[in-house]
Amino acid sequence: MLAYSFLLNALLASLFSSVSLALFSPFVTLRRISYLGEALSHIAFAGIAIALLLGLDLSLTTLAFVVLISLAIGWLAQKRQMEEANTITIFLSVSMALGIILISLKQSYTFDLASYLFGNVLLVGSSDLWRLGILGLVNLAFILILYKELFYLSYNHEMARFYRLPVNLVNRIFLILLAANIVINLKAAGIILVSAQLILPAATAFNLVKRLDRAVAVSAVVAGLAAIGGFAFSWWFNLPTGASIVLLEFLLFLFSLVVKRK
Amino acid sequence: MIEIAGLNHQINSLPILEEINLRLEDGEFVAIIGPNGAGKSTLIKLILGLLPVQSGSISIDGLPHLDWLRQHPIGYLPQREEYDRRFPATALDIVLMGLAGEVGLGVRFKTSHRKRALAAMETTRTGGLARKMIGALSGGELQRVLLARALVSDSKYLFLDEPEASVDQPGVQNFFELLRQLHKQGKTIITISHDLHTLTDYCTFLVCLNRRLHCHNQTEMVNSELIHKTFGEAVRIIEKNY
Repeated sequence: MLAYSFLLNALLASLFSSVSLALFSPFVTLRRISYLGEALSHIAFAGIAIALLLGLDLSLTTLAFVVLISLAIGWLAQKRQMEEANTITIFLSVSMALGIILISLKQSYTFDLASYLFGNVLLVGSSDLWRLGILGLVNLAFILILYKELFYLSYNHEMARFYRLPVNLVNRIFLILLAANIVINLKAAGIILVSAQLILPAATAFNLVKRLDRAVAVSAVVAGLAAIGGFAFSWWFNLPTGASIVLLEFLLFLFSLVVKRK
Repeated sequence: MIEIAGLNHQINSLPILEEINLRLEDGEFVAIIGPNGAGKSTLIKLILGLLPVQSGSISIDGLPHLDWLRQHPIGYLPQREEYDRRFPATALDIVLMGLAGEVGLGVRFKTSHRKRALAAMETTRTGGLARKMIGALSGGELQRVLLARALVSDSKYLFLDEPEASVDQPGVQNFFELLRQLHKQGKTIITISHDLHTLTDYCTFLVCLNRRLHCHNQTEMVNSELIHKTFGEAVRIIEKNY
């Protein structure tokens, strides 16, 4: 019975994690900010290290750190006229460096680096599961309520502002939610694999459908299938779950390329 | 009425506009002409609040322009719209963008909004393109779709930044005919143009700009000397095209 609920937890974690990232993926792809997702997941590493060193809540500390850095990137790009891509790369590398130094300070702690880099759904507890479930619902609500604003923001943010849409407000909520998605999914998906799941479902969906609303739905279905399939595959062959899910998402992407050609 | 007083603008400490004082009355068909780099687009973007005013003031209907713009929709056809050709939007989606501000945050478009958008598309003869993806539109079609977006909110002002740039010559004639009709219906039109020949047939008020204001007059009062003063050598190049 215990083994069964443990398994169910892990399966639900994979499913919630993949689907919640997939809901966001069409907007990340359309706005061409997949590199930001990649960078924020690496920046989270320093947040994790700070939390471990100071004994703080892992998710909350990391989330606060990532949100702070993403706002700093935006501020530097806007106020100091720094090239955004450069700023992001600087913060990415510096966060990794800071993380490595902090981890090395905490020598007594046996830190499982691999589980943070690649994720481990088997470590997901029931409180994490709740967080993942709530995150998925918040994502869904955000997209349903602010669909029009996100649509035009992605199309052209200057013109969206011109047509009196609250571009800054929506963009800030978007960035905070993006950071939350990355941080809360880190345990299940891992630093390296979380960004793949922010791109692949949407890349697949846009090969299959043209409209954005349909692409959001197809992304979620693709990610759900990949999560269940990848989980089963990893269970039977005793392979890492996150990596199996990403590989399956990639296979579905290849399949969508073939369908698109016809 | 749009009033501009003592407007100066610099980009990277280079003067783009110097001491612009200008009054544009309602109901005019205004053409802003001048050579490349004369500050025409900058002037329009300042009026539309797309660039912050550095010194001087702009008022619309007696209100500071930013206050007016917060309360009213305004029609604007940009010189070039930055967008991804693969973006999953239909022509109708783009026209509806013109109503996004008045619909309100988090509220979806209703059938009445779609009807208004389609009516604006009929005006610009793009009704049949409503369901087409934007990437599949030709340059001229896209421009008429963007004009429909500028018209859909029924603003009394319509700003156009070089509308003839992406359309071929017969298309330009049709486009200006359309503008003439809108002007007759009471819209105040303010357009930037290089095309002096087309403009003199249509506009009622000419603004010659080359960093400074060289003339701002009813069209019939503008003579070749004034035009020459604005364009300098450039005017010969323009006339060679015809």
